[in-house]
Amino acid sequence: MSVPDNRPYFLNLVKIRLPLPGIISIFHRISGVVLFLAIPFAVYLLDLSLQNDQGFRDAAELLQQPLIKLLLLVLAWSIIHHFYAGIRFLLIDFDIGVHKAASRIGAMLVIAAELLTLGILLVSVYP
Amino acid sequence: MSAAGLQGLRPWLVQRISAAYIALFLVYLVMTTFSINLFSAANWRGWVAWPGHNIAMGLFIISILWHAWIGVRDVILDYVGNVFSRLLLLTLVALVLLGSGLWGIRALILVMS
Repeated sequence: MSVPDNRPYFLNLVKIRLPLPGIISIFHRISGVVLFLAIPFAVYLLDLSLQNDQGFRDAAELLQQPLIKLLLLVLAWSIIHHFYAGIRFLLIDFDIGVHKAASRIGAMLVIAAELLTLGILLVSVYP
Repeated sequence: MSAAGLQGLRPWLVQRISAAYIALFLVYLVMTTFSINLFSAANWRGWVAWPGHNIAMGLFIISILWHAWIGVRDVILDYVGNVFSRLLLLTLVALVLLGSGLWGIRALILVMS
């Protein structure tokens, strides 16, 4: 016996309304890809900053470039989101925050921690 | 467990262990900045040149590369269906990661000399 399938079936990404945990999850993936793309740049900065005093100054100066500073903002968000969402996923592996209500609370905690950390970073280190 | 049964478990486990190490190292690094000013060339080099930190950073680099490899591999396997494109992208990712890793480890070794 087949049951008529009335579930909405959207292939249009704009029409998909993800629940909060789903949003956390897709941004975990997006931030992960962004961080992967930043690896060569990060290693370049590490090498440059460790070479000598001039290299350290060059690295610091590079990070002050307006375009790079904008990029740093994206990277800072990526690390922070990946960090907190990752902790949530690790806890889920230990059966903490799996079910619907708890999962939603976990997702909200991730967003709260993320905004707080990003806020602290923006007023302290970033300028 | 058979070798075939381990195929998904091992990357899954490596992903989580490397995640824990990366997270702990980042927390340690951020906490260090409260006691030592790492935004100074000499302090930064000195901090990295201390053998404990040097090895911890080496492990950090290896953890990130391995973690990134599993994550990006999963993303490519999810979205890229064409076998040739997959192979090409996976090869590119592996080369970027291995190259970055060697470059980073080299910088860590040079700061000791």
